[in-house]
Amino acid sequence: MSDQKPRKPAEPKPPRSCGWMAEFSNEHDLLVASRKVRDAGYTKTDAFTPFPVHGIDEALGIKPTILPFIVLCAGLTGLFTALLMQWWMNGVDYKYIISAKPFGITPASIPVGFELTILFSAFTSVFGMLGLNGLPRFSNAIFTNPRFDRATDDKFFLYVDSRDRYYNRDSVRELLGSTQPESLDEVLEDASPTTLPRPIWLASLLLVLAGLIPAAIVLNMRAGFSDLPRWHVFFDMDFQPKKKPQQTTTIFADGRSMRPQVEGTVARGQLTEQDPFYLGWDPDKKVSAIEGETKRFVSVQGVGQDATAGAASPTPQDSATPAQPPADGGATPMQPPADGGAAPALDLPWLERFPFEPSDADLKLGKTKFEIYCSACHGYSGYGDGLVSKRAASLLQDTWTPPTSLHADRVQKQPVGQIFHTISKGQGKMASYASSLTPKERWAIVLYVKALQRSRNAKIDDIPVEQRSNLTETK
Amino acid sequence: MATTASSYNPREIDNTNDIPGRRAPLITGNQTYSSVTEMVCRVAEDPQPKIWWLLFGFSTTTALTFLALIGFLIYKGVGIWGNMNPVFWAWPIVNFVFWVGIGHAGTLISAILFLFRQNWRTSINRAAEAMTIFAVVCAGIYPGIHVGRAWLAFWLLPYPSLNLWMWPQFRSPLLWDVFAVGTYASTSLVFWYMGMIPDLATYRDRSKHPFRRMVYGMLCLGWTGSSRHWLVYEKAYTLLAALAAPLVLSVHTVVSFDFAVSQLPGWHTTIFPPYFVAGAIFSGFAMVVTLLVPMRKIYKLENLITLRHLDNMNKIILATGSLVGLAYGTEFFMAWYSGNQYEGFTFINRAFGPYWWAYWIMVTCNVISPQLFWFKWFRTNLVAMWVVSIFVNIGMWFERFVITVTSLSRDFLPASWGYYRPTMFDGLMFFGSFGVFLTLFLLFCRYLPTIAISEVKGVISSSEHAEHVQAELLGHAHGDADGSHGQTNHGQTNHGHAT
Repeated sequence: MSDQKPRKPAEPKPPRSCGWMAEFSNEHDLLVASRKVRDAGYTKTDAFTPFPVHGIDEALGIKPTILPFIVLCAGLTGLFTALLMQWWMNGVDYKYIISAKPFGITPASIPVGFELTILFSAFTSVFGMLGLNGLPRFSNAIFTNPRFDRATDDKFFLYVDSRDRYYNRDSVRELLGSTQPESLDEVLEDASPTTLPRPIWLASLLLVLAGLIPAAIVLNMRAGFSDLPRWHVFFDMDFQPKKKPQQTTTIFADGRSMRPQVEGTVARGQLTEQDPFYLGWDPDKKVSAIEGETKRFVSVQGVGQDATAGAASPTPQDSATPAQPPADGGATPMQPPADGGAAPALDLPWLERFPFEPSDADLKLGKTKFEIYCSACHGYSGYGDGLVSKRAASLLQDTWTPPTSLHADRVQKQPVGQIFHTISKGQGKMASYASSLTPKERWAIVLYVKALQRSRNAKIDDIPVEQRSNLTETK
Repeated sequence: MATTASSYNPREIDNTNDIPGRRAPLITGNQTYSSVTEMVCRVAEDPQPKIWWLLFGFSTTTALTFLALIGFLIYKGVGIWGNMNPVFWAWPIVNFVFWVGIGHAGTLISAILFLFRQNWRTSINRAAEAMTIFAVVCAGIYPGIHVGRAWLAFWLLPYPSLNLWMWPQFRSPLLWDVFAVGTYASTSLVFWYMGMIPDLATYRDRSKHPFRRMVYGMLCLGWTGSSRHWLVYEKAYTLLAALAAPLVLSVHTVVSFDFAVSQLPGWHTTIFPPYFVAGAIFSGFAMVVTLLVPMRKIYKLENLITLRHLDNMNKIILATGSLVGLAYGTEFFMAWYSGNQYEGFTFINRAFGPYWWAYWIMVTCNVISPQLFWFKWFRTNLVAMWVVSIFVNIGMWFERFVITVTSLSRDFLPASWGYYRPTMFDGLMFFGSFGVFLTLFLLFCRYLPTIAISEVKGVISSSEHAEHVQAELLGHAHGDADGSHGQTNHGQTNHGHAT
């Protein structure tokens, strides 16, 4: 292809001889002849057969190929590419937080790792085979002989190349002739032009150029700047005629797209919002200093509109304009700082007593549920030494916040309502358990926690008189 | 070249029996190397029969309709389909899994049967591989157009999406699917192409017209049949087979993860990977039988694709069909044995709920109909096996429909239950994908070697060699008693008639 000048055919110079080619009608004759040629010391030899003839490698002295090692390397490259890609894309460049699973290589990386191993190896097998065989090669001296067309049909050819160290035109002819071939021909240099025909060349060039146009446009768009607005393929999909929360509107007189609750209606879940059983504190009790977080909570919850109307309320009860600056995470305004430990107790009228009459069954229920949901972190006896916690400590997980001991002094002092509230809303790193446990179950856990606390800090007076003697015995 | 290959007569030749002591021939009609070449090349060299043009006209019309419908879908949106709450994964995913499953037979035949030294694969592997690639093409269309904004389907690839610089989520089975199906499609393509290189050289060397010669010459990359090349080629082929064998098992495993990793009753089970793989092989072989039975008849390839090949494929259909039946039973057993009320409900709902008809079509087609292959008459009767293979194709489509739609339409919350109804577009677009498939397959028959010529020749060679060794052992050796395999004249005795 490098030679651009079209060659003139039928020049006086005779074509150069490339070697000799003997034709056989079956593979067995070919094998015999191949052995003969090999034993005569020729190494620049080849056999051309319509299918792989077994034993020809030994008969001609062909060395095994290194292709498997190349493929092994490619497979390992594929594996490491896949693992690096997943680690970097999902663990470094754009961290995906999923179920607190570790970033980087996890068992979920195996499928893609496997597929890319196969992909790289398979492509290397094919293209490595072509590369080792020197293919594609469209110009080949052996194609000059029309008899050779049957090398892919039913004939078998043995070829000795003139570049062989021991090559001698006459002796090779004699040797090949002695193997009784069907025909014996000298292979002559391919004199036909080696350049690609001009129309094909031009057509390929045009195709390649045409293929580059979209890429060029994309690159130009990415690198350059434009004053024009972005092109929207589907305008009504990008800009939908609808209102979102917190937007204004001209449809309603108050200008708000979010509509307030219709008077005289009860929304789903609203009934339980003022029941101490579901809250852990008493909303009916007047909060003496209705300031700060407490007041905001009450106003956001929309309770006490009428109850607090006449009370000493320094700020207006407008839920839309909270007086206090919003705390971080508006959804959980009650949440204390993340460390949880040193947070000041919330000033809510906590229930000091259970809102129902605790029974033995409740205590048993509380024990069951505590051991299912709480013991993993807080431990079976509540010292904050659950299995998860121990495991995290042994792994030196710096993101792990050790769970609070339920026997810590400030937890001991907490009223039952506050513990209920902690279970319902979560605290610090502890998530809310409201979706896993019914209110009754949460109260039962509170009951069990209280029992645990008392058992761990028991005084001699707590033990019935008739059982005190047992205590000393076991001690 | 006088071919002595006798014409095919099914009454005279029965190669479906393995007579003890002597191997039944894989190909019939006393074939020689040149008669095999002749028979296969004739398919592409002769003018195509009338039926080809009829089928081609029909299939291109269907395929173009499909393309037009895809255009309409992109213009109008996926709302033209019946996908609606709660069944958002409806026919598109069913069709995807259906086609991917069909695409399993080709690589299974070319890779796994190759590793098991099943020489009968040589007559059918090429057509099966082609079918695989065309099936994967059909499969690939559906996820691409199901994503809604089809012009952004390239976001499936690891590409930092527009303005967000956000990478795909590698913990999602849907992304594994992109890698698995992508690897499978490209590996199958290169495997198929590499297998065709020597045969394309045969096509080149038989071409009369210089343009035809040039095109095939370029396609075969200048293949000469050099033994040095063959050695590397065979090594590469073995490597590819060894790589493709686990790959073919992994693809449908990953497809099944799309379902099994979710937590929907009826999907969330560990049986899915083997169950899906068995189903895929089952449907793939059925599709191969569906295609090869008419193909061997139309192109008179009965001596190469013999009844024995079809018999063997039908045995595999029987085995995998029984595996699939076992899997259906196991699912029911586990639904009861797990004691999970949702799982139990799902399976009772599948068999006796609103989709009972789909379930029982599936059981009839997939479990009962292949059992006919216990009888040799069904395995060797062309019409009977073709009908059963069509049944299996139908059944396997319904299997995917049952899995996808019944589980989605009735999940945990009865308030959100629904009944899925496809629209006209669902039906037309599924039918249209067959047009794409058939068009590609007809073009393949028209232009590319439909049978692996060089591999069939290799089988002839080795079987004659084996016969010769056997004859020697029995004392019928030819003249040379020196025991050195007598390369001198047994070639002539076997091939004398060929020249």
